[in-house]
Amino acid sequence: MQFRLEKRREPSKLMTYLTPVAAVVLTMVVGAVIFSAIGYDGIGAVREIFLTPLTNSFKWQDLGVKAAPLIIIGVGLSIAYRANVWNIGAEGQYVMGGLAATGVALATYTMTGWWILPLMFVAGMLGGAAYAAIPALLKTRLNVNEILTSLMLTYASVQLIYYLVRAPWKDPMGMGFPQTRRFAADALLPNIIPTTIVHAGVPIAIIVALIAWFVMSRSVFGYQMKVVGAAPHAARYGGFSENKTIWLAMLVSGGLAGMAGMLEVAGPFQRMVPGFPTNYGFTAIIVAFLGRLNPLGVIFAGIVMAITFVGGEVAQTTIGLSSSATGVFQAMMLFFLLAGDILIRYRIKRVVPVVEARA
Amino acid sequence: MPHRLELTGITKAFPGVLANDNVSFSVKPGEIHALLGENGAGKSTLVKMIYGIMQPDAGSIAWDGEVVTVANPKAARKLGVGMVFQHFSLFEALTVLENIALGMDAKIPSRELEARIRAVMTQYGLLLDPHRTVATLSVGERQRIEIVRALLLDPKLLIMDEPTSVLTPQEVEQLFEVLRKLAAQGCSILYISHKLHEIKALCDTATILRGGKLVDTCDPKQETSRSMAEKMIGAGLKDIVRAEGRALGKPKLVVSRLKTEKAGHFDVPVDDVSFTVKAGEIFGIAGVAGNGQNALLDALSGEIRSDDKDAITIDGYGIGLLDTTGRRKRGLCAVPEERNGHAAVGDFTLSDNSILTARDRLGMVMMGLINSGAAKTYTGKVIADFAVKALGPASTAGSLSGGNLQKYIMGREILQKPSVLVVSQPTWGVDAGAAAAIHQALVDLAAAGSAIVVISQDLDELRALCDTLAVINMGHLSQARPVGDVTIEEIGLLMGGVHGAEAHDAIPA
Repeated sequence: MQFRLEKRREPSKLMTYLTPVAAVVLTMVVGAVIFSAIGYDGIGAVREIFLTPLTNSFKWQDLGVKAAPLIIIGVGLSIAYRANVWNIGAEGQYVMGGLAATGVALATYTMTGWWILPLMFVAGMLGGAAYAAIPALLKTRLNVNEILTSLMLTYASVQLIYYLVRAPWKDPMGMGFPQTRRFAADALLPNIIPTTIVHAGVPIAIIVALIAWFVMSRSVFGYQMKVVGAAPHAARYGGFSENKTIWLAMLVSGGLAGMAGMLEVAGPFQRMVPGFPTNYGFTAIIVAFLGRLNPLGVIFAGIVMAITFVGGEVAQTTIGLSSSATGVFQAMMLFFLLAGDILIRYRIKRVVPVVEARA
Repeated sequence: MPHRLELTGITKAFPGVLANDNVSFSVKPGEIHALLGENGAGKSTLVKMIYGIMQPDAGSIAWDGEVVTVANPKAARKLGVGMVFQHFSLFEALTVLENIALGMDAKIPSRELEARIRAVMTQYGLLLDPHRTVATLSVGERQRIEIVRALLLDPKLLIMDEPTSVLTPQEVEQLFEVLRKLAAQGCSILYISHKLHEIKALCDTATILRGGKLVDTCDPKQETSRSMAEKMIGAGLKDIVRAEGRALGKPKLVVSRLKTEKAGHFDVPVDDVSFTVKAGEIFGIAGVAGNGQNALLDALSGEIRSDDKDAITIDGYGIGLLDTTGRRKRGLCAVPEERNGHAAVGDFTLSDNSILTARDRLGMVMMGLINSGAAKTYTGKVIADFAVKALGPASTAGSLSGGNLQKYIMGREILQKPSVLVVSQPTWGVDAGAAAAIHQALVDLAAAGSAIVVISQDLDELRALCDTLAVINMGHLSQARPVGDVTIEEIGLLMGGVHGAEAHDAIPA
């Protein structure tokens, strides 16, 4: 029996918003089945990963802290993906943003002042944007695929951390550990809720998403991103340059990834360490799609992904599930989401077997 | 003798539309039968069911008196149904012979195939060299490949879908000769078109569809073009109303020595194109598709910028260096040939599509922010003034039929009151009623003092609409002449240009 995908006349608006929900539910169901089949407590795993972070109020602060970078990077990616600019290297831009902020923090180590954090913030964004400029330049000048260049640059950025924390930026008092010094007090993000780990990055993430939503829905910039992505030929006719759009998309998504890097290094990490790249940049790709490339949707998607991160840690301690299980769940979610997207636009049709024409 | 093809009560529904509603008609052996109707009348759907691409929901198809199920095109070909599509499926980089060989159901040795191709070509006077690369052929010659491909299967019914829309008048005459020869030998022909004088010249019977229903089956020779058109659109046809004795104004658009670079392998650039359009003048550019029309439109609209400021001037002001936005601000609007994905974004609402080209001229942008209220109001006005069948400014462009989308696009540009309007194929694939409305709007815009350039392959349209006519061939523009001074034969020869001469040399050995 053969099947064929047939285009639907008009994709359903309702289903567009329901597929992310369906993807999460399917992930839970199939996840439970798979982990049960390989001898774990499947239902327990799903409960610990998806529900405990929500029901246990001690975990809420973890959710906020994990969701913040995912939302900020996810918002940037959702803008770029709208324009069909496939920046896959947010992880590298996040690292470069963190490194640029670290550079400022170390250079101002002996100084004090309110201006240090804003300077780090700007440096972080510039660092991320500058790193994203490399794929943009290669794409617009030499038509090199940005997926490949941005992805490969990620691995280069990780090597740069290894070098910096082992040689020039190594903590002189660190007893040989490959890490920088702990930042001075004025280079650390303030906690906004006392006795928790919730730092200023959490409200910033929400503000970034709201601004991005406004810009994407109301401004010519947002219109440009959407029209170049939807119909490049029409965009040229409308007076929007494709190269300019590629530059803007790369710089904005890179800049936001760099901002997330700065907030992480000045927040939870408090110093640059080799373990700084934690795949936020890659997970944010799932966040962007789960949020329907809509900045408001990205807030919810960021929280859902944060739940799986936090829940994965819970499941590790309570039922001894390997930390890789989180990755399995996240991957399943992207899989079901993309499959759902196909089914919104196409229906599956059985191919009628060939019958002889003569009756 | 049984009918070659008999359709009884054919019904086919798509979500939301009844494409064919209880359609019955029959085609006799050797008959040339026209299938006539506006866009969206259900002609293509009907033909696709005969050719096995779709299956009817109800009704039956009888072939030589026997009821058959046509499961797929291969089964249709086996019955003896051949089809020549409006859009060709040819590989440009391969030769004629290779293209035909690829399309055959059965594998035939190349030498034998070539002999058969030459035999068919000689029999029907289809002149073509089997070893030429398709990329070097004119559209008319490419169509001959498709016809030869269909004839190799000895069809008993040949379906032709809008075959003349891309041909010069001379090529049309040659095609009709071939079709008449075929019919004389007993092959039935189902001829889909909306060009009424062709149907009168060629066809024995005409079946007219409107809104999926069969309206009438008549003898086109007994009808006037007008009476058939009115049956097709179901209402009286309006003539273009022109102000008599109007005088043309000062030169408005002056194009001098405009040229473009060759962009892709099969792109035809324009070279050394010069012409002048006065205020109030409609300037027509005729030509067979693929002779540089697209490059010319892009060069005029600003999608391709010139490196000479004065290559294009409006009222003496050089706009050659400006992009589309800059040229629009200076009063030049353009409508490209391709509606979906070029002139409009299918996934966007009509309101958002108005922002695409009208945002600067009509103040829809303030400090980088879009005034969506202004866009919605303007779109509503376009829908009302141009009788666009759409639910409202919030419907997506992709949900409109081709003709309605074209009315919207033309309205969007015309209501901006451009001082220069450049349009390509303004009524391509648009039904007679909508075409008349678009023509009237262009005439009115010219009467208000705008300079208009119409690039079209439809000679009837150009002769009805334009004051001045020039022909584009291989990127060169002929001398412009008043439309009354040129005969259709002269235009045809200019359109054929180099290609026409080559075609006559390529006599099969």
